[in-house]
Parts: sequence; structure tokens; C-alpha cells
Amino acid sequence: MAIDRNMKILVVDDFSTMRRIVKSLLTELGFSEFDEADDGSTAWPLIQTGKYDFIVSDWNMPEMTGIELLQRVRASESLKHTPFLLITAEAKRSQILDAAQAGVDGYIVKPFSAATLNNKIEKIFERIGERKNASL
Amino acid sequence: MTLATHIDKQLVQALLDAIENNQPEQASSLVDELTQLRESELYQQLTQLSQNLHHTLDSLEEDAPVLMHAKHDIPDVTERLQYVITETQKASEATLSSTEKALNQLELLRQQLVDNSSTEPDSILLIDQACSELTNIMMAQSFQDLTGQVLNRVIYIMTDLEESLRALIERSKFDFHAIPERVGTAEQVKQEHERGVGPNITAKGKQDSVGSQEDIDDLLGSLGI
Repeated sequence: MAIDRNMKILVVDDFSTMRRIVKSLLTELGFSEFDEADDGSTAWPLIQTGKYDFIVSDWNMPEMTGIELLQRVRASESLKHTPFLLITAEAKRSQILDAAQAGVDGYIVKPFSAATLNNKIEKIFERIGERKNASL
Repeated sequence: MTLATHIDKQLVQALLDAIENNQPEQASSLVDELTQLRESELYQQLTQLSQNLHHTLDSLEEDAPVLMHAKHDIPDVTERLQYVITETQKASEATLSSTEKALNQLELLRQQLVDNSSTEPDSILLIDQACSELTNIMMAQSFQDLTGQVLNRVIYIMTDLEESLRALIERSKFDFHAIPERVGTAEQVKQEHERGVGPNITAKGKQDSVGSQEDIDDLLGSLGI
């Protein structure tokens, strides 16, 4: 399935530098519709509007962590299928397992490369496409 | 403690007797007694340790290094670390702005060359290579997020330490606010300035510093230089 390059993406990170980098990389990959949030707590009300097709989030943020944000998204009946990618410096085995258990679609450890981001996004949407085909 | 050891021996003997004479209830109560003795001994030691600590604190001079560290140096260090976060962020943002601009300009140039039928294919390749280098520069800026997270963590620990020290000091005879400012002798200040103090970034460091090149030029100008 071809990835919809017009999909609306929410980028969540407490460091503005990282938000810019992620947005620039996504732009290079052909995406153009972004919003950003500086914490899980500010992201959550935005996500609840239901307008995002993809969430890219950091883990370690002061008010609400990325993993908590993911858990909230997965607990919501209307939002639970939103693809969720974590980009984080957290790299403990138990953390990665926790993220998997919480239902993360992709996990990228910082520092990362443009190629890794591209690769993970392609994999995520490939898998979603397969899941959709299987349920048809 | 000698007393406790002495009683221990008697108790242990009584315990052994109780076991030999098959008196389980007696034995159990003797075990309880032994444990309590141990606990009260530990408690006495802790009390003594705490008294020693208070005694040491109370005997400190008002400008003792530990008090000065707690009041002045820890806040100074956290302020400096905050400065590092702010400055690296500014530098990263500036680098990102320039790379983004350059990437857009190269994209426009690429379009113009693609539209021109006489363009050498090598020219397009060169532009693509330059774009890829700019992306590398952009990615390298992600260090700011990583080092920032580390520094934030250190600031958090330092602040915690500062609060603990403050609580400890306030439980002694000292009033935290009464700990004096750090004032070096004229000679100490001169020596420190000769060694160099780096950028004046803290509120205290900014006192008596000039703000800009213009201020420096004015100051030198007023001296006829």
C-alpha cells in the first residue's frame, strides 16, 4: 500500500531542536502536514480531536511521558488504531518491552539517521496495510 | 555496649536452658528480649551518630566551605548548566535554520536545472550530494536533545542535593539566609580574574560585566583607546 503523503502527523518532543529535525526529515520524505506539541500533556488534547493519522513522540518529557501518551491513545476506543512511533534516547530492554506491550508501532533510538526514520515509517504503514487487507 | 554484651551472655545461657528443658514459650520470649536489645543498641548508635552530626554542624564557622557550597556553589553550578542547555539550543536552532534555507534553495536550483534540457546530469548529482551533506549537518544537531536531557538530569540531582543540604543546615543552629555572601579579598578576586572566569553567565557573574562589544568600545573609548 502506498503511504498517503498528505496524512496529518503530530510530532511530540520537549526539545524544539528535535521537533524541527523530525519535521525536516518528514518533509524530505514527502510529508507536509504537521502539528507539534512540547509534552504528552499538551499533545493529548490535540490528539483527542481525532485529526491525526500518525503520532511521532519522544519518551522522556516533563509532564506526561511518551509511553503514558501511547497508553492513553491505545485505551481510547476511537483513537486506538492511530499509528504511534517512539523516537527516544531511552534504550533499556525493559523499556522497549514496555513500549511493545503498550502497543507501539515503531521504536527508534536517538541518535538516529534519516534512513532509519524512513525505513521505520515504511514498515509501520506496510504492516497496517497488511492488517487492513487481512480484515477485508 | 559492654553492658549489652554482658546481658547477651546471660540471656543466651537462659535461652539454651529453656530449649534443653523443653520450654518453648520461655525460649520464644527470651528470643524477643534478645532482639529488642539489639534494636535498642542500634537505636542508641543512630542517636549518637545524629548527635555527632549536629555537633559538627553547630561547631562550623558561619562561612564554612560546606555551608558556602550549599548556599552559593550548587545554585551557581545549576545556573551554568542551564546556560549550556540554552546556548547549545540557540546554536542548534541557528544551524537548523540555515540548513533548511540552503536545502530549499538547492531544491529550487535543482528544479531549474531539471527543466533546462542542456543540463549536465553531473550537476544534478552534485546538488543531490550537497543536499545529503546538509541533511547530515541537520541530523548532527540532535546532540542538543541528548546532551540537554543529560544536563537536565544533573540539574535535577543538584537541586535535590541543595534542598537536602538546606534542610540539614536549618535543623542546626544556622539560619540559611544568614549564611554570608561569598566575598573574596581584593587579592583573591584579582587572581581569579587573571586566571580567567569564562563567560559571565550567572546573575552574580553578570554584575560588573559589560554587556556587549559596544559597551567595551565605549569603555575603551572613554579611556582614549
